[in-house]
Amino acid sequence: MKKHIKWLAVFLGIFSTPILFGQNVVRYDLTVTDTIVNYSGKEKRAIAVNGQLPMPTLTFTEGDIAEIVVHNKLKESTSLHWHGVFLPNKEDGVPYLTQMPIEPNETFRYRFPIIQSGTHWYHSHSGLQEQIGMYGSLVLLKKKDDPTFRKGIDDLPELPIILSEWTDIKPENVHRMLHNANDWAAIKKGTVQSYSDAIQAGHFKTKLGNEWKRMLAMDVSDVYYDKFLINGKNESHWSHFKAGEKVRLRISNGGASSYFWLNYAGGKMTVIANDGNDVEPVEVDRLIIGVSETYDVVVTIPNENTAYEFLATPEDRTKSTSLYLGKGKIQLKSRMPKLKYFEGMKMMNNMMNMDGSMDDMGMDMSLQKMDMNTVMYPEITGNPKIKMDYQMDHSNHIMNTNQDIVTLNYSMLKAPQPTTLPKDAPVRELRFELTGNMNRYVWSMDNKVLLESDKILIKKGENIRITLYNNSMMRHPMHLHGHDFRVLNGQGEFAPLKNVLDIMPMETDTIEFLANTEGDWFFHCHILYHMMAGMNRVFSYEKQAPNPYLPNKKWAYKKLQAESNQLHVMAENNFATNGNDGMAMLQNTRWSFGTEWRLGFHDEHGYETETHIGRYIGKNQWFMPFVGFDWRYRKQNGEVEKNLFGQSNTKDQRAVLSVGSEYTLPMLVKLQGEVFTDGNIRFQLMREDIPISPRLRWAFMVNTDKEYMTGFKYIVTRNIGITTHYDSDMGIGFGAALNY
Amino acid sequence: MKRRVRIPRFQKQNIMSNLFKNIVIIFIVLSATAFKAQTENQKIETVKIYGNCGVCESTIEKAGNMKNRSKVDWDIETKMASISYDSLKTSKEEILKRIALVGYDSDTFLAPDDTYSILPSCCQYERAKTVTAKMDESIIAMATNDHSMHSPNGIKMQEVDPLSGVYDSYFEVKDALVQTDGAKASTNAKNLLTAINDVKMDKLSMDVHMVWMKNLETLKKETQAISSTNDVEKQRAHLDRLSKDMYTLLKVAKFEEPIYYQYCPMKDSNWLSKEETIKNPYYGSQMLSCGKTIETIKE
Repeated sequence: MKKHIKWLAVFLGIFSTPILFGQNVVRYDLTVTDTIVNYSGKEKRAIAVNGQLPMPTLTFTEGDIAEIVVHNKLKESTSLHWHGVFLPNKEDGVPYLTQMPIEPNETFRYRFPIIQSGTHWYHSHSGLQEQIGMYGSLVLLKKKDDPTFRKGIDDLPELPIILSEWTDIKPENVHRMLHNANDWAAIKKGTVQSYSDAIQAGHFKTKLGNEWKRMLAMDVSDVYYDKFLINGKNESHWSHFKAGEKVRLRISNGGASSYFWLNYAGGKMTVIANDGNDVEPVEVDRLIIGVSETYDVVVTIPNENTAYEFLATPEDRTKSTSLYLGKGKIQLKSRMPKLKYFEGMKMMNNMMNMDGSMDDMGMDMSLQKMDMNTVMYPEITGNPKIKMDYQMDHSNHIMNTNQDIVTLNYSMLKAPQPTTLPKDAPVRELRFELTGNMNRYVWSMDNKVLLESDKILIKKGENIRITLYNNSMMRHPMHLHGHDFRVLNGQGEFAPLKNVLDIMPMETDTIEFLANTEGDWFFHCHILYHMMAGMNRVFSYEKQAPNPYLPNKKWAYKKLQAESNQLHVMAENNFATNGNDGMAMLQNTRWSFGTEWRLGFHDEHGYETETHIGRYIGKNQWFMPFVGFDWRYRKQNGEVEKNLFGQSNTKDQRAVLSVGSEYTLPMLVKLQGEVFTDGNIRFQLMREDIPISPRLRWAFMVNTDKEYMTGFKYIVTRNIGITTHYDSDMGIGFGAALNY
Repeated sequence: MKRRVRIPRFQKQNIMSNLFKNIVIIFIVLSATAFKAQTENQKIETVKIYGNCGVCESTIEKAGNMKNRSKVDWDIETKMASISYDSLKTSKEEILKRIALVGYDSDTFLAPDDTYSILPSCCQYERAKTVTAKMDESIIAMATNDHSMHSPNGIKMQEVDPLSGVYDSYFEVKDALVQTDGAKASTNAKNLLTAINDVKMDKLSMDVHMVWMKNLETLKKETQAISSTNDVEKQRAHLDRLSKDMYTLLKVAKFEEPIYYQYCPMKDSNWLSKEETIKNPYYGSQMLSCGKTIETIKE
């Protein structure tokens, strides 16, 4: 009898679920292939899914079972992550954390029930594939009989929109250049902020103060993009919308590193949902959408025979991308004026302490309410240049300034239903400080990258409350996998639910969520290059069941950690008339392996190399102790040289080991002190990249061996520069520098 | 035996000049094909662009022209522009979009309203679209709205709170400083001074009267200081003291609606506002949203 009941139970278990709940399996087959695209006049490699880029929009209805079959036809592994979706951990799509990578020619099936609604998106979580096409919209519709169905909103015509950007430079190379503080992107964007720029803008002192505090040129984003895209196109026209019609735009930011300003030429926009969760409708003139956030916005087509521009502008305002809604003449929206970088620099100077930490001057900033970048926005603070251009009768009006522009911020978001967590659950408090170092492009939490941190253990049933403080100079969109969190924004029990929190420099925000789905969940900055630099953590549920897709979790976690601490190569060689000098470096988050060489054309000039292996210490990495090896050969009649300390050395033939350290002084000058095995001591001051004009750099070096060097470099292309320098050993020279 | 071949001098020259000739011919052929290619892609179209005067002409042409890509020639009389462009590198739409973005409508693009509105007045051509009419309406609506808000306040002033005239004038001074408008702040401060002098002290309750007398001198002094200059920075220096006095007053004599006591940490200064949203009067638009509410004063 008992046996019978057991069989009956199994039988019911197999057949009843789909019947009882009427669950509908919706299947998509996705084939991932290499492709060639041309966005800028040059043909470049990209990744297409089902032959298109972005990936196709996937639509499900709450209650469906999603079945997505991925066929990997690439020559590398891949994965798909369902951003903002509640699902079993093994379906989350993070290679080495929730599954093994989908290898070339392999097929992988994701299958999970859809238990929520809203605008979400999906993307590859493997390497930098997201930058070159692997992003797409994911729309989860409400059921018609859903009690939260909003008439007049949820029944509007809708348009899924995915924002992204394109660069002709391979993303691996972009990543490498960022770590090497290569300023090619700044040259392309016109944001080098050189001394000549500063003098022209009347901000010489600002620039000096900035370098005194050891900061590089400031910018709101780091990568130069050739094109910005809405649904894979720079401009597109949807002419089937009629006058008076309302349209719901389901906007996801699939950009790898760009925040976008959203503006509409046909009047105000009504924000109705954020990160897939409904919010009380709020009318705004503009909003900024963080990397990987989603917003649902309702716009109206006001007039007949006119199409209205929906304009997305990246935060650095270099370019834009547009969508035209309606039929007829196109009503444009004015472009966002260029940022006043030196104003921003001035503000940064005030906020930055000498030790590299930020000082909020007691302003308790949070929830995007106080955008310090406002000092750089001409549309808010006025642009003197515009007034000078038109010295007409209108000149004394303050034309372009508008203090009444309503910009969305997080405190304006309110959930339509209470979102409170269970009151009786134990509360676990966590605090993270977001940290970073622009010069070496190290991004971390509590000054630890993923490599240096274990998984954070949490228990199912706990309320997790996280306080985040951004003590770095960039904003970060922090994303939690598999859960929505409440943002404590002053709306009490109606705190909005989100899965990405944009946090600006010096802001403190608190979020909380109920730990309700076991597994290993990623928590990371969604700027792709910050994530790859190690700004990640993993929340791991205690006593979770094993993951069938990832048998050896311990090994896999090591792989995951290593992925965000890769070595970056940097090399430069200057072929000059007086010799050949150059350097090569291999660096990761903490370590640096570098070697320099100077090769003369004959024995009198000599040949020498210096190799240093060092480790960067501290948050700002201004200090690097190292061990080194020096070798040189020169033929100069055995002439004996004396250094400043009276120590003598022929330098004609030398092979010594050394110990020393390097420290970055104010004005970004590097001080190096070194003791060699032959008892000699050497101190050296050096700086190589003083930006004189947008493309001209000045370098100097002087040391206690009475050696000195000074030179200029004019940057011609990303890899080529023209140089001239004077060296105490080799005299004056002219040459061409190649750098990688 | 090897035979030495000597080339006569004139022959040598011949070879040289032949070579030169050949190079020239090759060059001409090459450049001709290049030129031909250019003319093949070159397109000329005539389109209407709305505008009025010579300033318009130079702005339109400057926006439309791009080296090696496009050339625009606009005619004041006919309002027609002849656009020649390299169809491989750009398009008519791209050129017209650039022109619309500096303020000039065409039959493809309409200029943004804010860009149109800052055109010099001689360039304010008549727009063919309906949106302008609608905008005027909204301006009128705003203006009437403003009036309707003012008059009932004026009546209230005499009937209810003997101090509300002082409060209202204070907020106007503060608002002028939010807008960084020194002249307006000065005028409003004069109004505030009048309002202070006009307060009917016999209508004040006992405790309010005490505070009033205690602060009257500084109130007047600070207001005077603001009214006597048009220099915003000097005016701002006095707003803190004035605001602190107003705060002491408000603590005792409550206002009919909640008042927010706000603080700017960068200036270590306070101000009062009727709205909870921060609009900092100490920096104007530069740091408009900087600051925080430290107390809400309610009845």
